[in-house]
Amino acid sequence: MTFNSSTSIDAQNLSAADGLLVLITRALDKLKPGEVLEIVSDNPSLEHDLPAWSRLMAHRWLGTIPKDGRRSHRIEKGSVLRVLIDRELDWGQRAGIKDGRFDTRDWLLGHAAQIRERAEPSDGFAPRGAAVERGSPDFSFDVLDRNQAWSESAAEFYEQATAGHWDGSRDIPWSALRPLDEELERAICQLMTFLAENEYSALYVPAKWIARIHPHFAETVLFLSTQVRDEARHIEVFVKRALANGGGLQFSSASTQASLKSLLDQEDFIQASFLLSVLGEGTFLDLLRYIEAHAPEPVTREIARRTRIDETRHVHFALDHIRHALRSDGTLKAKLHQAITDRASLLSGVKGLNPLVEESLVILAAGGLSSGRLPSGMKARRQLYETMHENRIRRLISIGFPDREAEDLSELHTPNFM
Amino acid sequence: MPDVIKVGVVAYDPKVVTIWEGIKDYFTANRIAMDFVLFSNYDAQVDALLDGWIDIAWNTNLAYVKVHRRTDGRCGVLAMRDTDVGFTSKIIAGAETGIESIRDLKGKRFALGSRDSGQAAILPAYFLKQNGIDPAKDLTTIRFDLDVGKHGDTGTSEVEVLNAVTTGEAHAGAIGDQYWARALAENVVHSSKVRPIWTSPGYCHCNFTVRAKEDEQRFTRWTDVLLAMDYNKPADRKIMDMEGLKRWIRPQMDGYRALFEAVDDLQFFN
Repeated sequence: MTFNSSTSIDAQNLSAADGLLVLITRALDKLKPGEVLEIVSDNPSLEHDLPAWSRLMAHRWLGTIPKDGRRSHRIEKGSVLRVLIDRELDWGQRAGIKDGRFDTRDWLLGHAAQIRERAEPSDGFAPRGAAVERGSPDFSFDVLDRNQAWSESAAEFYEQATAGHWDGSRDIPWSALRPLDEELERAICQLMTFLAENEYSALYVPAKWIARIHPHFAETVLFLSTQVRDEARHIEVFVKRALANGGGLQFSSASTQASLKSLLDQEDFIQASFLLSVLGEGTFLDLLRYIEAHAPEPVTREIARRTRIDETRHVHFALDHIRHALRSDGTLKAKLHQAITDRASLLSGVKGLNPLVEESLVILAAGGLSSGRLPSGMKARRQLYETMHENRIRRLISIGFPDREAEDLSELHTPNFM
Repeated sequence: MPDVIKVGVVAYDPKVVTIWEGIKDYFTANRIAMDFVLFSNYDAQVDALLDGWIDIAWNTNLAYVKVHRRTDGRCGVLAMRDTDVGFTSKIIAGAETGIESIRDLKGKRFALGSRDSGQAAILPAYFLKQNGIDPAKDLTTIRFDLDVGKHGDTGTSEVEVLNAVTTGEAHAGAIGDQYWARALAENVVHSSKVRPIWTSPGYCHCNFTVRAKEDEQRFTRWTDVLLAMDYNKPADRKIMDMEGLKRWIRPQMDGYRALFEAVDDLQFFN
């Protein structure tokens, strides 16, 4: 009998039970069906082991012959595929690592760099670029379109977010808290209660969408996960501030709850992102700047400063994401307009901000309840509302709404801020 | 063909239901009405085939031989798995026993599987006799009669044989090569304690048996559709992996000769 071996491996005395089958399997992986693998061995068990294994694996056993005092076993590779995939795997490209950093923006290599117009439901949890076996189950993600889910700058914002994480237990100067005037403390506690409930919506809304966006758009999913993490920290520090100085958590109003629930109930990712991040979190930037400016002590000041930096990132991500979507979907602008008006009519019963929060804003800016300083508090709050309105208009214009429409839409935004 | 073709299957494991629901779906998709009937043992399945309760029996080699005997050779066969051809039995021995060949087995403790297992009892005993060792006289046999009636399908007795040889309870023992190859691949063989010393000639294992030769023609379409099952199609692969094959093939009847001789020699059906 003569053989025409494509490849030969020297298995020495290795037995089938101790890893030889792995060696053979990997060697056969490199062959084409019909090609022959020779295994040269000193182990007498193989002529019993390999025929049985070959039969089970649908390879053809060609037999054993003596060779230079040893044994030569031959297996012809069968035609069944071990894994049902239809393409070659990527191999041999190195990532660009600069100054020891592997930036997420630089991971677009090989198949991982191919962003599809529509993600494949059966790609499931496989990382983009992996070869997915045919027959994998369809996952029920409902955000599958590039137009909805992809953002060119998500990787950059993700990098910023991971670099900017901070520790709510340690990075706030908690020990600097001293007893405050009771009315001022009460106002701060009410504001912290309000901020925390709003941040719950800012946590739950992206968390809900993470579970619905196809992992093909990994950068978006990863960024949203940092947003969830940010909001968790914000909830933590707002609640801690309410509890830290002898006060406590204050009122949550039905109107605030109704406003926040309407965000969670949104069933369209872009619209949810627009209402939450562009309008809601955008408005919050001015609120946090106001609290930072008028805070009577360093703890509240630092909390407002740090949370505002995080929120700024969320707003910019959403603006960028929506600008991208608007470029490729001519009907989107009308849909966003509709989303604001729908929400306004849904919330038509919400006539204003929780009055306890409104009062607290005045008391904070006035530094207490003294009649002499209240007028300056009222003025500051009026100024805040104007600034919020102007900045909302500016953001709406920046994503392409005409001036007049932007102004109308800003006025329709919930008085609850978020 | 009958309105609904009834295939008998022995339920040796809960997965049998999953496998056969899958096969039934496959036939339905190919516009053949087929159903399966579960039996707890092969004797009952053979009776049902001969009585006309079922049309086709998914039989072990031993069940096939029984049908063959009871029909005076008039039964037919439709198909089998690729893995049913070239099946062998192995004799494994404790590494420290000094047993190198069948001759060395004389006077030793020898483990066999269930008494109705073709691969782990009937054929090994026959092959040993052919090679000069009469199990009844020359060996102290240790039998693991587990799941009798299921013809060794559950593999539990082979696990016990491997275990007995590994621990030294038996000096040597017999198992089927399918279990041996799986045990090797699944890393449950201690190569320092047990090794194969002999492999039997190849023989055939399961097949789809019908009552009469003419039935092979009656069920041509069923057989053709079965043979078209494709391991490179995900839905088919799921079923074939569970049933332990990569391809359905036409029957190769030469591979049953040894078992006919063995059951005669051992007077198994008497």
